[in-house]
Amino acid sequence: MKERIESILRLLKKKGVSYADIRIVDRVKENITTENLKVQSISNSRSKGVGIRVVLNGSLGFASTQDLSLMEETALKALEIAKASRVLQNESINLAPKDVVVDNYKTPIEIDPFTVCKSEKIKLLINAEKTMREEATLVKTNGTMDFQKEEKIFADTDGSYITQLLYESGAGIEASAKNEHDVQKRSYPNSFRGNHATAGYEYISSLDLIGNAKRVGKEAEMIVNAEECPSGYYDIVIDSSQLALQIHESIGHPIELDRVFGTEVSLAGKSFLNESMINENFKYGSEHVTVIADATIPKGLGSYGYDDDGVKGQKTTIIDKGIFKNFITSRDTAVKINQASNGTNRADGWQKLPIIRMSNINLMPGDKEFDELIGGIKDGLYLCTNKSWSIDDLRINFQFACEVAYEIKNGKLTGKLYKNPIYTGITPEFWGSCDGVCNEKYWTLFGIPNCGKGEPMQHGHVGHGSSPTRFRNVKVGVKDVK
Amino acid sequence: MLNKKSAYEIIDKALSYCNYYTMVTLKSKDEGITRFANSEIHQNVYNEDNLLTISVYDGKKESKVTTNLLDEDNIKAAIKDAEENLKFIPDGEMEIIELTEPTEITYEEYDEELDKKFDTISRSNLVKEGIDLLDKDYTAAGALSLIKSALAMGNTRGVKRYNRTDRLDFNTVVMYKDGSSGYAGYTTNKAHELDVVKEFKTAYEKAKMSVNAISIEPGSYTVILEPEAVNSLLSYMGYVGFSAKSTQIGTGFLTGKIGKKVFGDNITIKDDAYSENTLPFYFDFEGYQKKPLNIIEKGVVKELAYDVKSAVKDNTETTGHSVDSPKIGGLALNLIMDGGDKCIEDLIKSTKKGILVTRFHYMNIVNPRQALLTALTRDGTFLIEDGEIKCGVKNMRFTESMLNAFNNVVGITKERRKVGKFGVSYVPALKIEDFHFTGKTELN
Repeated sequence: MKERIESILRLLKKKGVSYADIRIVDRVKENITTENLKVQSISNSRSKGVGIRVVLNGSLGFASTQDLSLMEETALKALEIAKASRVLQNESINLAPKDVVVDNYKTPIEIDPFTVCKSEKIKLLINAEKTMREEATLVKTNGTMDFQKEEKIFADTDGSYITQLLYESGAGIEASAKNEHDVQKRSYPNSFRGNHATAGYEYISSLDLIGNAKRVGKEAEMIVNAEECPSGYYDIVIDSSQLALQIHESIGHPIELDRVFGTEVSLAGKSFLNESMINENFKYGSEHVTVIADATIPKGLGSYGYDDDGVKGQKTTIIDKGIFKNFITSRDTAVKINQASNGTNRADGWQKLPIIRMSNINLMPGDKEFDELIGGIKDGLYLCTNKSWSIDDLRINFQFACEVAYEIKNGKLTGKLYKNPIYTGITPEFWGSCDGVCNEKYWTLFGIPNCGKGEPMQHGHVGHGSSPTRFRNVKVGVKDVK
Repeated sequence: MLNKKSAYEIIDKALSYCNYYTMVTLKSKDEGITRFANSEIHQNVYNEDNLLTISVYDGKKESKVTTNLLDEDNIKAAIKDAEENLKFIPDGEMEIIELTEPTEITYEEYDEELDKKFDTISRSNLVKEGIDLLDKDYTAAGALSLIKSALAMGNTRGVKRYNRTDRLDFNTVVMYKDGSSGYAGYTTNKAHELDVVKEFKTAYEKAKMSVNAISIEPGSYTVILEPEAVNSLLSYMGYVGFSAKSTQIGTGFLTGKIGKKVFGDNITIKDDAYSENTLPFYFDFEGYQKKPLNIIEKGVVKELAYDVKSAVKDNTETTGHSVDSPKIGGLALNLIMDGGDKCIEDLIKSTKKGILVTRFHYMNIVNPRQALLTALTRDGTFLIEDGEIKCGVKNMRFTESMLNAFNNVVGITKERRKVGKFGVSYVPALKIEDFHFTGKTELN
């Protein structure tokens, strides 16, 4: 295969490209869903193909096919598309320099999840469902497991040839309780199919679904019968699962340099940041807020060896003690701010063009114990686990709904909980109101496997680590809503 | 993209290796997308893919394997995997009902002009023609795409299905240098219906009207929602409320409300997969013939969307709305809302103070039982005073229950428009009173 790939790259060079790369991706997935103690669906899928990207006379073309015997024709198709792009091209595409790499990367795993019998996986989910029902009356219980293995070959006209074998594993449980007027759910370790990591089957065991199932079932029952969350301005603590999405939407997306340059504006939107802000000491948050993009952290869903520009996965400081420092970049965007790419250009499979995707955008731990965070609140709420999200096209105004809010009075959790909590804010004001982050003992990585971006739509697999964090005077509820 | 003959050949080959009741589904797609931003083409892509799904059933057990490796050995391997799974999979909820009729359903119509008028080079030229209209202080972003796709199915009882769907999509955001913007877009399967330059002009006009947008305070406003905005609301309502499964679980806002009046008399919403005003699709992902649905008739809930499993639970027949997601059940993707007797100018003229919304951004469901949705306005939000558009308004967030909003509709346009979202809908513009904006989008 290597010889064939290299011969096509030589052909493209002869045809005059300034750059071309070929990516062959073979992705295998397994998804299991149980519902109400039965298997709702079990599916395996495999998708293999090749995507070829060319830059010809400063213009881009990309073509892909599942038929590897048509690689040469696909390369020529990409050239034709690049010529069509030339019709409307103001600036030639330039690429930041990078190292030529010949390497192999493999996700460190202990147990290949595809070697574990499906019956064992199903048994674990059904047992977790049974445990959720032990002390609660539930209208619905669910269990999910998702596994992915991706073999990737990347080669380019610069001389890089990189192979990667990437594994992902994830699982979750969810309980729904009902009364006459309402249905509410509680999930673990996160909503929307649980938590996910670049890891093997050992990760599933580490989640301890059964050990958490009884609490999840009981909480679902408590939430459905709880009072509606009050509206007002409150001091709040946010748990790591909800904070993952808060970081994702209000830091992860605004720091994508392609958004800043407007190339996603028609669909996903732009960013309130502009390229000069990395030199302006822009105050993104309080001194407690330090954020690092890290593609190297073990188990992060956004961890990989190399991105789809062939640039090594790396760590980049994004916000240092509240001050904005850097974007996440690709070769074609980094060059515009006189930088080398920090390796975040990734495609969702062989069919898609790489675009800037978060790696693991992590909020660094602080020095607080959880009790200290709660202890510093007279009248507030502890908000857990995402239920819905929305943010504007510049990533300024966000609104999140959570599964549950726990009441805090006079520095203690009272044991009372509320349903349907919503909180809303303005990105830099909100991060500016952060006055405490729990220490590394509480720090947890959450994987988000469904980050939508691009046209055609691509689903990015990204990660966010954080500890429970306190914010002051946050708007909770939407008073104007009837 | 595979035509019917080629698709059936692959399906027949796969079925010949099967030992159980099996449904084979083949999704075939050719996709060409020209994206532009900052008034130049920055992403220009082509993709072709054919994906084969083998669904094997044995009593209450079912197993599914999908592959895009369509050579004989890999198809055999996929079937073997699917059948091996049956050995240890526990029983599911119910035994599958074998599909035996109608023997064949096909829809092969397509507009040959699409390929001629919207191939790669033509797309580039059309986008250039539109962008050439703009003054130097304006730029445009967007996409022009032609996606040709087919869904083919066949089972071991001799049933065959083939539906071709071509989808031509255009969208553009024209922006002034201060960030003010205007949007236009259209989705169709007919080449003559899309006038790219006309859409550019619409977006350009809106962008010009948006310059020097003012900030207004959140609160209750009368709104006039253009079809793009209306379709976002309807699509999310369909997702969380128009499926029978959502009422069975109790999460849907129509739970316990069949036969009851939930919206104003002026609200009638249907689903019709045979209508040329949407994108026709004659069967669902379980192979069942689609039935037109009278979802809301003069405000009263009449019919909901079913897949097979949710239908069995309600002791009824599927309506042919499976989207291959047992979690969702049935999903209405060809929504049609009845028009009224007004034009958009009438709605504006009759408004003392209100807000005209072109489209929404990042809609999501805050509370499905209350039909509580939230989203932001974008790319053309205007203040109306004394019957006239006064100026652009900076983007705002709404949080509103659709059970309130669709009881407060005081004007509906006669003209309707095709709009793409999850599916393709055909919807009018609406004037709604007491619509709640709950936040602004400005940095202090």
